[in-house]
Amino acid sequence: MLMDYASVGAFFLIAILFVFGAMVAGWLVRPHHGYDKKLETYECGEEPVGQAWFNFNPRFYIIALIYIVFDVEIAFIYPVATVFKRWVSQGSGMFALIEMVVFIAILLLGLGYVWAKGDLDWIRTQRHAERRGVQNVTSASAKPAPAKSQPQPAAAQES
Amino acid sequence: MSANLLLGLSPILIVSLGALLLMMAEALSKLRNEARESPSSSLAMGSAVVLASGGVASLALWLQGPDNLMEARAALAPWLLIDRFSLFFFVILTLGAFLTVLLAGGYLPEHKLDRGEFYPLVLLSTAGAMALAAAGDLLTMFIGLEVMSLGVYAMVAFRRGSPRSVEAAMKYFLLGSFAAALLLYGGALLYGATGKTDFSSISFQLAHTGYANPTNLQQLAWENSTPLMVIGLILVVIGLAFKISAVPFHMWTPDAYEGAPTPATTFMAGAVKAGAFAMMIRVLMMAFGDVRSASWGSGWPPVLAALAVATMTVGNLIAGRQESVKRMLAYSSITHAGYMLVGVVAMAGTARAEANGAVLFYTLIYTISTVGAFGALILCGSRGAEAVSYEDLAGLGKRNPAVALALSLFIFSLAGIPPTAGFFAKLYLFKAAVSGDYIVLTVIALINTVIGAYYYLRVLVFMYFREPLPGAPIAKPMKSGHVAIALVFAALLVLALGILPSKTLQAALSSTISG
Repeated sequence: MLMDYASVGAFFLIAILFVFGAMVAGWLVRPHHGYDKKLETYECGEEPVGQAWFNFNPRFYIIALIYIVFDVEIAFIYPVATVFKRWVSQGSGMFALIEMVVFIAILLLGLGYVWAKGDLDWIRTQRHAERRGVQNVTSASAKPAPAKSQPQPAAAQES
Repeated sequence: MSANLLLGLSPILIVSLGALLLMMAEALSKLRNEARESPSSSLAMGSAVVLASGGVASLALWLQGPDNLMEARAALAPWLLIDRFSLFFFVILTLGAFLTVLLAGGYLPEHKLDRGEFYPLVLLSTAGAMALAAAGDLLTMFIGLEVMSLGVYAMVAFRRGSPRSVEAAMKYFLLGSFAAALLLYGGALLYGATGKTDFSSISFQLAHTGYANPTNLQQLAWENSTPLMVIGLILVVIGLAFKISAVPFHMWTPDAYEGAPTPATTFMAGAVKAGAFAMMIRVLMMAFGDVRSASWGSGWPPVLAALAVATMTVGNLIAGRQESVKRMLAYSSITHAGYMLVGVVAMAGTARAEANGAVLFYTLIYTISTVGAFGALILCGSRGAEAVSYEDLAGLGKRNPAVALALSLFIFSLAGIPPTAGFFAKLYLFKAAVSGDYIVLTVIALINTVIGAYYYLRVLVFMYFREPLPGAPIAKPMKSGHVAIALVFAALLVLALGILPSKTLQAALSSTISG
């Protein structure tokens, strides 16, 4: 029983050795002459500015969240598409179709929700921002988020 | 077939469709209506109506009786089991959420948190908790748990300007995800050991492997899979113990309860706990209810008994040392989870049906009382002057006798003092434990009840026999029709169930898990 796992153990061992082996081999073979520019942090060809710890613009985060709507849609529709023909031949095609329509309708509802809330606009209109900002401030320490003054992450601008 | 499917699902469907409708209504009406008005006033009533109709639908299905339910149950089994057990929990969950949205209707505008998202979140979490309570399969259990939890994480962080609220949400989120991961891993191991994900098949495998046909091969399979089963069960129990905040998995509870806006705390202490308890009972009694796993000598009961003793005792001892009433109520909710665990242990004994009824009855009463206590606490304070510590309650009996009376009633019920419902809940629970021959456990629970009376009654001492310290800021009671309705409703239920408990107890007794 335990011997069945020997191959797994061997695989792990080889994997670890491979990583170290490759790094050591590279270190031995490559030329060693570094200069200032070369030792800098590489960031898509841009010159890195400031610290890595800074406030991110939350809009990237919101867009990523909204992307989940489509992500989930694809992840679940794709498997259904592959077996749909078989379901039709089994006579449950209509049922599956209705199920999928309901599923997509609920997801679209999510899209409609963020649309109505104004989260699809890259630059939120003052109207939306105001309506939220005024109500959200609960303590003196929570300032309304400055829209433009935050430093933009260089890498994110590239992408 | 499909009509039965819809019928069986109707309580969950009503709540989740209502959530989607309210969500869209909130998003769209804001666009149309430039003049800002409080979204809480209409949304709180809307979601209360949705939850009430969900509760009524569950009640109607429950009244149909177990025989008429069989068809609806068969249509959804084994993924969701619509039996009287789940329907009883549906009623508890919708009731807890119903009171929560009413409390939120008063609390959110008062504390300038008036954003409409809260109500759809409560409804969606409730739908998740209902799926959790009805789940008969490891997969639906996990989905139900996550749907329930995700909404609650957002609700805890609702006061997003406050670092404390965000910290509480972060803590709850990290520990909750960790618990969910343990649960999922435990489920994977159980699947690996039995090849099945639904509880009845797991139970069948457990009961029959190497037992009914003790051929050598099956005996071997049993022996090989036993460690997997045990580890899987342990992980699943730990995952659920996190959600019911049993000691030693309770660390997040006080911080999360204190940092969250009080309606969110109410929801966590009431509905979330009830849903997790339903799941725990079903996993233990259905999947691990066979002779070997459910016996004191070879199965889970001693482990759960140890959890129960630790939960009651630790929760009680720390609760007595709190200076914040909200934190005291958080620890008190831990203690109550311990009492309920005593009932779950008793379910493994000889008095199974009795213990089952007692635990369901206790969960119902506990949910109403704790929601009421938090609600009365909401009413004690207003924006900028919340009542959080015992000192804030000093002299409340004179300043605002109605609120003080309501708070005393719910505190009495939590402490288990007649004529409130909490007394009978404790009585039946301990009676069931005694008839299952768990004498030591019952004695420990009784001692804990006595200790608990100390810090519960301390609230009353402060309200009626103390005057506020000279110069101390006085918490001004707020006024809200929503909260008042919720409190009157909860108070009537606590009194009615305290004076005439027998009918509800009968209902709880007949709400058994259908195998």
